[in-house]
Amino acid sequence: MPAEQTNPKPKLKLAIYWGSACGGCCVSVLDTHETLLDIVAAADPVFWPIALDIKYKDVEQMPDKSIDLTLFNGAVRNSENKHIAQLLRQKTKILVAYGSCAYMGGIPGLANFFGKEDIFNRAYIESESTNNPDHVFPATKYTVKEGVLEIPEFFNDVLPLNKVVDVDYYIPGCPPQSERLIEVFTAIVSGAELPPPGSVVGANDKTNCEECKRKKSDNKTIDRFYRPWEIQDDKETCFLEQGVICMGPATRGGCGVRCVEGNSPCRGCYGPPPGSEDPGAKMMSAIGTMINADKPEEIDKIIESIVDPAGLFYRFSLPGSILGRKVL
Amino acid sequence: MEEPRIGVYVCWCGTNISKMVDVEAVTNEVKTLPNVVLAKNYKYMCSDPGQELIIKDIRLHNLNRIVVAACSPRIHELTFRTACEKAGINPYLFEMANIREQDSWVHTDRSEATTKAIDLVIAAIRRVKYHEPLQKRFVDVNSATLIIGGGISGMTAALEIANAGKQVYLIEKSDHLGGQVKKFDLTFPHLSSAQQMIMPIVQKVRTHPYIKVFLETEISEVTGYIGNFKTVVNANSHGQTELEFGNIIAAVGLKPFDPSAIMEYNYKEFPDVITSFEFEEKLLSGKLLTVYGKEPRNVAIIHCVGSRNKIYHEYCSRVCCMAALKYVHQVRAALPDANIFEIYADMRAYGKGHEEFYALTTHKQITFLMFDQQKKLPVINHADRSDNCNMIIEMDELLSGLSIEVPVDMVILMVNMEAQEDVKQVVRAIGVSLCGSQFFIEKHPKLDPVATTTGGVYIVGTCQGPKDIPDSVAQARAAAARILATIAQGSVTMEVTTAVVNELLCCGCQTCISVCPYKAISFDENKNASVVNEVLCKGCGTCGAACPAGAIVSKHFTDLQILSEIEGIMSMSYKAN
Repeated sequence: MPAEQTNPKPKLKLAIYWGSACGGCCVSVLDTHETLLDIVAAADPVFWPIALDIKYKDVEQMPDKSIDLTLFNGAVRNSENKHIAQLLRQKTKILVAYGSCAYMGGIPGLANFFGKEDIFNRAYIESESTNNPDHVFPATKYTVKEGVLEIPEFFNDVLPLNKVVDVDYYIPGCPPQSERLIEVFTAIVSGAELPPPGSVVGANDKTNCEECKRKKSDNKTIDRFYRPWEIQDDKETCFLEQGVICMGPATRGGCGVRCVEGNSPCRGCYGPPPGSEDPGAKMMSAIGTMINADKPEEIDKIIESIVDPAGLFYRFSLPGSILGRKVL
Repeated sequence: MEEPRIGVYVCWCGTNISKMVDVEAVTNEVKTLPNVVLAKNYKYMCSDPGQELIIKDIRLHNLNRIVVAACSPRIHELTFRTACEKAGINPYLFEMANIREQDSWVHTDRSEATTKAIDLVIAAIRRVKYHEPLQKRFVDVNSATLIIGGGISGMTAALEIANAGKQVYLIEKSDHLGGQVKKFDLTFPHLSSAQQMIMPIVQKVRTHPYIKVFLETEISEVTGYIGNFKTVVNANSHGQTELEFGNIIAAVGLKPFDPSAIMEYNYKEFPDVITSFEFEEKLLSGKLLTVYGKEPRNVAIIHCVGSRNKIYHEYCSRVCCMAALKYVHQVRAALPDANIFEIYADMRAYGKGHEEFYALTTHKQITFLMFDQQKKLPVINHADRSDNCNMIIEMDELLSGLSIEVPVDMVILMVNMEAQEDVKQVVRAIGVSLCGSQFFIEKHPKLDPVATTTGGVYIVGTCQGPKDIPDSVAQARAAAARILATIAQGSVTMEVTTAVVNELLCCGCQTCISVCPYKAISFDENKNASVVNEVLCKGCGTCGAACPAGAIVSKHFTDLQILSEIEGIMSMSYKAN
């Protein structure tokens, strides 16, 4: 389906795929609102499961590197995600890990605090709404009269995209802010010089405090941690100084500090700044210096007021961090 | 980054390493690793031929990174860094793997120890790749010295420095010089006059052209760093004066313990129960009388008052035993017929001439009575009218096993020495640390007893811990010598492995500022970033660990260097699995 080559700038071919994702990243593309019209004016979507009815076999038949840009959102949870990631890598010139899940594992990556067995037991036996007396688990192959049914294999680990294929760029966010997508897309379409492969784009180097308007001081001593609903936020003091854990200082800016602007602490979806491989460890290390106690039992007591520390500090980054997963 | 060309040297340390680690196997295992140009082993890497081997190889093979697997870096890191420097490469492009203290000496299985040595060497190789050249820095030293405290320690240090022609500012919070020694009559064990000793020193200090004394002056805030400190003093005699100096000596001393808290001794109730310091006043006045104006017929001296007791102070005050024996001599000389009771918990006579002094004292017709400090203190009570004395001490005598009553007219409490009330103010002003007993902490308890972890700040005399006059004087002269050495040098080398803030990453959260124990970090409002004063920074790494944005880099301990080292340590285990 070669387009007419009358335009000196031929339309780009664009693919958008969701791996283990919630759909929010695809919605963030639609959230470009009327700019979406500019996007489709500059690029033909050739594969986008949420919006277009194009089958995997159609993609398989495309020539290699025929897709100019793929936005891959979602983590790699199963063999289907992995297969499509590899397929798109083969067909694509610029592969972008789009959103927190593709970038570092994201929310589905929290499953790495468990293994496949735990998850299956919970989902197919223990969950309150399940009635499965025979303990039937999903099988990758199942023979019925009509033939053999196949479903993808559920992996033990959730993986970020770059553990499966080479990734050219990362656009962080849960989901990425649509303005950032437009900026990156415009840069690609305009033929501007792109940063070196492997770069995070559509985000700042500095972390969120840089843009945060709340008052900050060096008095970060914490006697007790609070969840946001447990205190009356004064709406102007740094969340950490009020005892509420805010991932802002360990999280790349670029989102426009929207959560904090909405009086909610940063949850860390934009991931770490350059040079930091493990934002959870960085934040825990920082929090450790703020705890206002000397005796081990006092320290323990204060730490106990952090609910689900692993999930809190690694909310978006577990599979992509040095930690990777809980050792089972 | 230039391509790393690494030379690896495995030391046998005679048989120290080679007996437990197969050095040949280690050498063979690492020589094919990426970036390793050569790997050798040698009997004694620290010997001249060992160092020469490195120097030659650097020149011959154009090496730019060196790893030596040998003993602890505490022993020979400097040796090998110097060798690197001699060969023309930056000394920080060197890494040491400790395969002796951390390996051969602590293992008994040769094959496991060899595997561990390989892991440690691979870790060092992975790390050294990311080493960066670091440059030594120097700062000039202001030749003036500030001394806080005008007791024997402070004055001795002052004279030592001033006699070398260097300016001293001596500040003293009371209205006179002389400290505790000025309150004493005689000194032990020679029973010579404290006054005749201290007064000429006071006189010399007061008239010395290079010593400026500020009486009734307290230290408030000191700013700056080694070589370049500043403070403002408010003194009655001089008005407000700004002082600049390169070094500081804290000689703030200790004060006597107040025994009122010890119920058993009824110090508040009985006027003839007095502290050793009050007894010195009586000795200086030349009148050894009770409040009733009479010569006491029975004198008791109770040891360890507030010392070696978990309720008051756990430590020993070190000087009271000998001071108590000194009193025996003085009481006996003044009151030849009095009964003297030494009521002690333990007799500590460890110093030069002290045991002999103790032996001499036993010939003075006195009664030694021992009590158990942990079980029961002696109790001072009113005597009955029929008793021929003012007070009775009830005690369980430990050696005889008897509960006895001791008649007394005067009791001398050998009180402990404890921290001054304002010690925390001094601590804040000059940036030193206190131990649990509120004594200043020295840099190293054995090898660096007068320096502190803050460059240019020294501690002498009893503020570092209870001690007698000769020990105080020795410390004072030691600190003076250290300071004169840095003044003679004219400049001091600064810590090289400091922290630096990457302003491109610092988000201005200010987490780092209060964690710095050296007050080296400040916040620049204009840049919205933290700034490390590299002169104050000691490279402890606390801020680097605290920085949530990874914006603070501890030179020579970067995340990349440490993580590479860890990956190196783990690499063989991965291979095995």
